[in-house]
Amino acid sequence: MSKLSAVQRSIFTAVCIGLCVVLPMAFHAIPNAGTLFSPMHIPVLLSGLICGWSFGFLCGLAGPLLSSLLTGMPPLAYLPSMLVELATYGLVCGLMINLIRTEKIYADLYISLVVALLAGRIIAGVARALLFSPGSYSFAAWITSYFITSWPGLVIQLTLVPALVSALMKAKLIPPWYPTKA
Amino acid sequence: MRTLPAGQYLPGHSLLHRLDARAKILCALILMTAVIGASSLWGYTLVLVALLIPILISRLPLRPTVAAVRGMGGFLLVILLMNALFFKGETVLASWGIIQLSHEGIKQGFRIVSNVVLILIIGNLLTMTTLPTQVATALESLIKPLKLIGVPTEEVAMIISVAIQFIPTLMEATELIKMAQIARGARFESKKLSERAVSFLPLVVPVFISAFRRAEELSLAMEARGYRNAKNRTRRQKEPLALHDYAALTFSVLICLIQFLLQR
Repeated sequence: MSKLSAVQRSIFTAVCIGLCVVLPMAFHAIPNAGTLFSPMHIPVLLSGLICGWSFGFLCGLAGPLLSSLLTGMPPLAYLPSMLVELATYGLVCGLMINLIRTEKIYADLYISLVVALLAGRIIAGVARALLFSPGSYSFAAWITSYFITSWPGLVIQLTLVPALVSALMKAKLIPPWYPTKA
Repeated sequence: MRTLPAGQYLPGHSLLHRLDARAKILCALILMTAVIGASSLWGYTLVLVALLIPILISRLPLRPTVAAVRGMGGFLLVILLMNALFFKGETVLASWGIIQLSHEGIKQGFRIVSNVVLILIIGNLLTMTTLPTQVATALESLIKPLKLIGVPTEEVAMIISVAIQFIPTLMEATELIKMAQIARGARFESKKLSERAVSFLPLVVPVFISAFRRAEELSLAMEARGYRNAKNRTRRQKEPLALHDYAALTFSVLICLIQFLLQR
């Protein structure tokens, strides 16, 4: 995780929450873009990676909630399971990036992302099976909704999030993960 | 995407506009519980009639109030058809292979669609009559009990309030970058879905860079002015809830109670 001041972490998280509202609206021109590309996941993952687990968790909760209240996306009926999924992404991403130190930034990022994306999907699936749709949610439905229909989103997240971290570092908006060799 | 697609604040002086945002959020949550608890025609009629009162009081034009519902028309139709044709019911009206039209399926479809429509209208009523800054202040008050378990509620409220204030700026920046990409040949309006999808990807990195640059400027300005954390900030004394706020809360609780009595 990069070393940012407390104020920077708060404001970067606020911007990520704002992007959770704005990005789905930008993607709105593509039919079914929410399910296919999951644009809201990108700022949440980024917030967890850059600002830490607590800020990532907050972004995962506040992002979809604000978006739903202000734009109706996601519909309130789907909000609870999405809150669980995104909050887990932010939380696990932040925890993993703190734990993993391979000295290779992309290895750290990919391991954290893959673990977070899996954990979020598993926990959201369990929450749907036990809390939100008890008795009417199957393993096949979980595989279909979280892996088959959303595979373009998975590819986009795994490609874009490390590219975004790298671009933000190059723009000197976040400090480098590891000290650069002279 | 210059304006929010649905639910944006419409200025007004109606009683609903004047209600405290804390009371409005609580009323919305109670009425949503009433919607989720409904399972019969009487239950849905009760919520619908109960919603007509704030709609009339708010003096909001009907068109934007139901805009979110109209926008989701296609999606709701798919939900209705999926349930009507694939729900395994006991009273089968017609069947073709794996497709089975059942009485229970139609009922289930209408139930889900009604829930979504009513919840959307409640959400719209809240956001169309409440300023986003009032929503943020109200959220700060409502999450205060979380302080007992160590959640820094002032910090959370500050982040949410900054996020809300950032939304118009981010929308403007996104629109500007979109125009720049169109000038460079991006095909956002292409009829081919894949072309349209691919054209959106180069939009993401500049949007993030621009947003983080603004965030960096804001955090520097805040630090330069001596801001350290939200905990030490002073604030205007909160006004207590007025009589009409309590009346609105009582009305919502009554509707919720009647709903649960109807289901027994």
